[in-house]
Amino acid sequence: MSDLAIELTRVSKHFGPKVAVNAVSLQVRQGDVFGLIGPNGAGKTTTFSMMCGYLYPTEGSLQVMGVSPTTPGALKGRVGALPQDAVLPPGWEVGALLTYWARLSALPQPEHEARGALEKVGLMEAWKVQTQALSHGMAKRAAMAQALMGSPPLVLLDEPTAGLDPRIAAQVRQLIKDMKGTQTVVVSSHNLQELEELCDAAAILDKGSLAQAGTMSELTGQGAEFRVQIARGDVIIPEINALPGVTDARMEGPDVLRVRFDGQAQKAEEVISRTVGHLLQHQVLILGVSRGRRLEDRVLQLL
Amino acid sequence: MVVIWAAELRRAVRSGRALVLLGLYSMFSALVLLVVGFVTRELQAQVNDKLTEVGADAEATARAADELHRGVLGFLTSNDTAMMEALAQVPIVVLVVFKITLFFLPAYIALMGFDQVSGEVGPRSIRYLTVRARRSSVLLGKFLSQATLLLALVLVIDLAIFVYARILNPDFGFGVLVLNLLKFWTATIVFSLAYVALTTLCSSLFRSPAVSLVFNFILLFVFWLMDSVARASSDTNLLRFLRYLSPSNYSGNLLHPKLAEFAGSGAAYAAFAAIFLVGAYGVLRARDL
Repeated sequence: MSDLAIELTRVSKHFGPKVAVNAVSLQVRQGDVFGLIGPNGAGKTTTFSMMCGYLYPTEGSLQVMGVSPTTPGALKGRVGALPQDAVLPPGWEVGALLTYWARLSALPQPEHEARGALEKVGLMEAWKVQTQALSHGMAKRAAMAQALMGSPPLVLLDEPTAGLDPRIAAQVRQLIKDMKGTQTVVVSSHNLQELEELCDAAAILDKGSLAQAGTMSELTGQGAEFRVQIARGDVIIPEINALPGVTDARMEGPDVLRVRFDGQAQKAEEVISRTVGHLLQHQVLILGVSRGRRLEDRVLQLL
Repeated sequence: MVVIWAAELRRAVRSGRALVLLGLYSMFSALVLLVVGFVTRELQAQVNDKLTEVGADAEATARAADELHRGVLGFLTSNDTAMMEALAQVPIVVLVVFKITLFFLPAYIALMGFDQVSGEVGPRSIRYLTVRARRSSVLLGKFLSQATLLLALVLVIDLAIFVYARILNPDFGFGVLVLNLLKFWTATIVFSLAYVALTTLCSSLFRSPAVSLVFNFILLFVFWLMDSVARASSDTNLLRFLRYLSPSNYSGNLLHPKLAEFAGSGAAYAAFAAIFLVGAYGVLRARDL
C-alpha cells in the first residue's frame, strides 16, 4: 500500500473564466502534518475543498486515501474535515448534532465520541446549546470537534485557529501535535509561525499555482543554511567560503553572516561548529546562531 | 439515508416548524370548509324554499336534495358512475375540500420544503454531511423526512375534516368514515409525493432558498397553465396533449374504486416522483458544494 495519504497530479479548478487552482501537483505522506500556505486567493481553500470532495477538479487527478474523493461514500469514516466557511446547521443542540454526525459516520458509540470530541476542544459546556446561539469561536470549536470524532486516519483543517483566542488556539495546536504520527493532518492557514511549528511538510500556493512544496526543513533551508548574528569584529568572507562544506557565505546587512553549505555531504552541526570556531579565532564576538530561515521569510521571498 | 431521514424529521418536529405548517394547513382547510359549508347550506336552503313555494311534500324535498347531491357529485367525479357510487355516502363538503386542497397542496408543499437542500448548500452546512454520507443518501433522507412530515400533517387535517363532516352529517357512519378517511389520505399522499419530489428538485437546483421557492412556484404555474391550455384546446389541436405533462392531470382517478384506475393514476404520480428525484440527484451529484 502507498505511504501517500493524498496525491494531486496536475489538478486544476476553474470557476467560469477564473482559474482558482492551476495544475497543482503535490503529495502528502501518511502520518505527516502538512500545511497549505499562501495569501488570500492563492487557492488554498479550493485545493482543500477538492481534497474533501466538495469541489470537482476541472482537470487532473486527485487521490485521497487511495480513492477519488468524489466517489460516493469513499471517504466515509476515513476523513474528518473542518471546512472554513460552512455554517453549523441551525435548530440543533450541539451535542445532538455531533451525535447525529457520529452516527452518520457509523462510529460505534456516537454519543461517547461526540462527548469525547467536545471535551478535546474544551466545549463540553455547550452540549445543550443551540448551534445558532454559539459565538464564532465556539462554533469553530464545535466544527473542529466534529472533524476529530472517531480519530479518522486523515484530518483536513481549513484555518483551524482563525478567530480563536490565544489560549484555545494553543489548545488546538496541541491537538494537532498530538495527532502527528498517528493521523495525517492537512492544515490550511495564514499563520506561518503556527504552520512552521506544526508541520512536517508544506505547499506554498500563489495565484492558484504551486510556488514550492517540500518538507519544512527544505522550505526553511534548515539543512543547508544558517545565520550568525555578529556583535563585534571583522568577518573575513573569503576564509569562511574556503571552509570545508561551505558553498556560499556572505553578509546580510552589517551584523548578519549567512552561510550556505552542502547539506547532503556535510552535517549541519559540523559546518556550524567550524564556522563559529573560525570566527572566534579571529576575535569575532557572536550574539547568536540560527539554522535556516523563518518560514515567513521564505514565503515572502517566493510570493 | 435512514439516519438522515430520522434526524431531519426529529429536527423539524422539535423546531416547531411542523406546528407552524400544521397551523397553516389547518387554517386553510378550515377556511375552505367554512366557505364550502356555507355555500352548500345556502344552496340547500334555496332549493328547499323553492320546493316549499311549489308545495312539494317531504318525499319530493328529499328527492330534490338527493338530485342536488348527485349533480354536484357528478360534477366532481366527471360523471364516472363507479366513483359516484363509491363516494355517494361521503358528504359533499369533504369532496369539495379534497378537490380544492389538491389544487393548493403543491404550493403548500413548496412552502414546506423549498429550503431542504438549498438551505444547506448556500451556507455550506451540507459539507458536514457529504463527508459522511453519499449525496444520494442526503437527498433521499431529506425527501423522506419531508414526505413523512406531510403524511402526518395530511392525516391530522383529513381526520379533522372527516370528524367535522360526521358532526354535520350524523348519517355519515363510522365504518364509512374510517374507510373513506384511509382512501382520501392515501389519494392525497400519492398525489403529494410527486410534488414533494418536485420541491426537492427545485431546492437542489439553486443555492438560495428564496430562488428555489420562486422557481418552484413558476413550475407549478407552468403545470397549471399546460393543464388549462390543454383542456381549453379542441380535440384536433395538438396542444391538448400538453395536459399529459402536468401531474395534476392524473388526480381524477385517485379516489376511483377500481384498482386498475387508481393504479394508473398512482403509477403516473410515481413516475413523476421518480423523474423529479432522479433529476434532483443528477443536479446534486454534479454540483460543487
